[in-house]
Amino acid sequence: MASEKTATLAPRTSKSAKASDDSLRFLPWLFLAPGLAIYSVVVVYPMVYSSYLSLFRWDGVSPTKVFVGLENYGILLTQNDVFWIALRNNAIWLVAALVLPTSIGLGLAILLNSKFRGSHIFRSIFYFPAVLSLAVVGLIWTWIYHPDLGLLNQVLSAAGLKALTRNWLSDPNIALYPVIIAATWNAVGLPMLLYLAGLQTIPEELHEAAKVEGAGPVRRFLYVTFPLLRETTLVVLAITAINALKAYDIIYAMTNGGPANKTQLLSTWMYFLTYNYNQVGLGTAIAVILFSLTLVFAIPYIRFMTRKT
Amino acid sequence: MNQTIAKKEILPPQSKVALFYLALVLAALIWFTPVITLVLTALKDAGDFARNGAFSLPKSIRWANFGEAWETGVKNYFWNSVIVTGFKVPIGIVIESLAAFALTHMHFKWADRIFTYILIGLIVPMQMTLVPLTLLMNALGLIDTLVGLTILYIGFGVPFGVLVMRGFFRTVPVAIIEAARLDGCSWFRIFYRIALPLALPAVVSLCILDGVATWNEFILAQIFLRSDELRTLPLGLVQFSTQFATQYNQLAAAVLIAVVPIVLVFLFFQRYFVAGMGGAVK
Repeated sequence: MASEKTATLAPRTSKSAKASDDSLRFLPWLFLAPGLAIYSVVVVYPMVYSSYLSLFRWDGVSPTKVFVGLENYGILLTQNDVFWIALRNNAIWLVAALVLPTSIGLGLAILLNSKFRGSHIFRSIFYFPAVLSLAVVGLIWTWIYHPDLGLLNQVLSAAGLKALTRNWLSDPNIALYPVIIAATWNAVGLPMLLYLAGLQTIPEELHEAAKVEGAGPVRRFLYVTFPLLRETTLVVLAITAINALKAYDIIYAMTNGGPANKTQLLSTWMYFLTYNYNQVGLGTAIAVILFSLTLVFAIPYIRFMTRKT
Repeated sequence: MNQTIAKKEILPPQSKVALFYLALVLAALIWFTPVITLVLTALKDAGDFARNGAFSLPKSIRWANFGEAWETGVKNYFWNSVIVTGFKVPIGIVIESLAAFALTHMHFKWADRIFTYILIGLIVPMQMTLVPLTLLMNALGLIDTLVGLTILYIGFGVPFGVLVMRGFFRTVPVAIIEAARLDGCSWFRIFYRIALPLALPAVVSLCILDGVATWNEFILAQIFLRSDELRTLPLGLVQFSTQFATQYNQLAAAVLIAVVPIVLVFLFFQRYFVAGMGGAVK
């Protein structure tokens, strides 16, 4: 039967294959054109041009730009204290983002993966903060940290821990951490979702088999679940790291980099230098540094996404 | 079948179940405290808030907070967000799925390289593009316009959109497409009569994820919108918070107005969030 079909179709196949070869020379480009064009103009060209601008001293307004080579990078590394504060804050933020949302997300996913009455409601509750804008998350948490009216200090006072109450977002030594907590609240949803999807792909029989062999829940997690979530974990870590380095809105909404620039991140300091101090060269140099840091995490991720399957 | 196995596994003695639920409910309550605080604050009058703080039931519910917030500027912000999201999402979907279709089914030499080129956009920090975009938008007279902002959103949306649509188009069997080719169907017809309908769940997912992301976007709006009447919600709210720093009840009402559309979308289309993110890592 199959051979008969092939035989009757054979001439048409070769003809249309030839026709499609011709159309495939330019047609894909026609399909790609709108997307590629707008993406290249809005994202790629500015990236390249930013890198170029980072080699100049320029205030963003005057017609002349002075070529200074790598001087802007030198200035940042040796004379710009806030740059180092921002870099350190980015490092703290990154470590926190790689540990907190991922482990909380994994824990919740494992807890909520089994179908029990109400599991969907709990999933929604824990995922919900992830759909809020970071500006909104920042605003909500600013009230929670409010020194007099905020919930946190009120709870601490009520619990007899008045000594611990403080002006959370105005204390230069600790202000970054309350912001990180707020960001974590928003960042848990995505790892949870990805881990839930990853857990769905693990066959139940494996757990049953391990159980029969006498493995307890901890050992089953360590030797069955977690190894099989390796790929998910890679994606989760890469995405969280990339997102962590993009953090901006929440700082802007909660502390605006203060007090005394102690909560600046590279992203916010770039904004200050460029748009408040007109140091376009320094600003674009920070952007390039931020992008290079992102690449460390992004290259393995992109290789994973473009892998052959 | 899966369900019964799972049930057997997690239905130990009654007390254990009760404890499990108690812990979970407690955790969920703590997790939701910020949202509960927000809602309670939005319903109070200013005096009640000042006396009793955020986390207490309102003495009397004051709906007027919403009306006042709406009239003090949130109305504008809201409609600006609706306009930008309303144009960005459909236009974005069309160009993203066209590109994703070419990359998945129209086998051509450059497909892999183009896909990698597009993926770079997923990781670019916005800061890397701000200065050149400012110059470009200035030159085109698009600074401080919703049109300009929408164009930027469409450009920045391409990588994620292509990623998600490609993930789904790859699940469309090649055999179907080849069969259609053999029947003399043009590529464009295959795209919108076969591939797109088959990928409809993906289109819905992308609409939702993209809509939420656009609704929430902050930094581009901050840089490229200058006048108050053009601000979108996230930007407007932060502005609102500095202007009305002490009127927490109104501010909370304003935030709630911004959040309600997201909540509705989330409640009605929840499964598409999962599907969409799944498509992104496929």
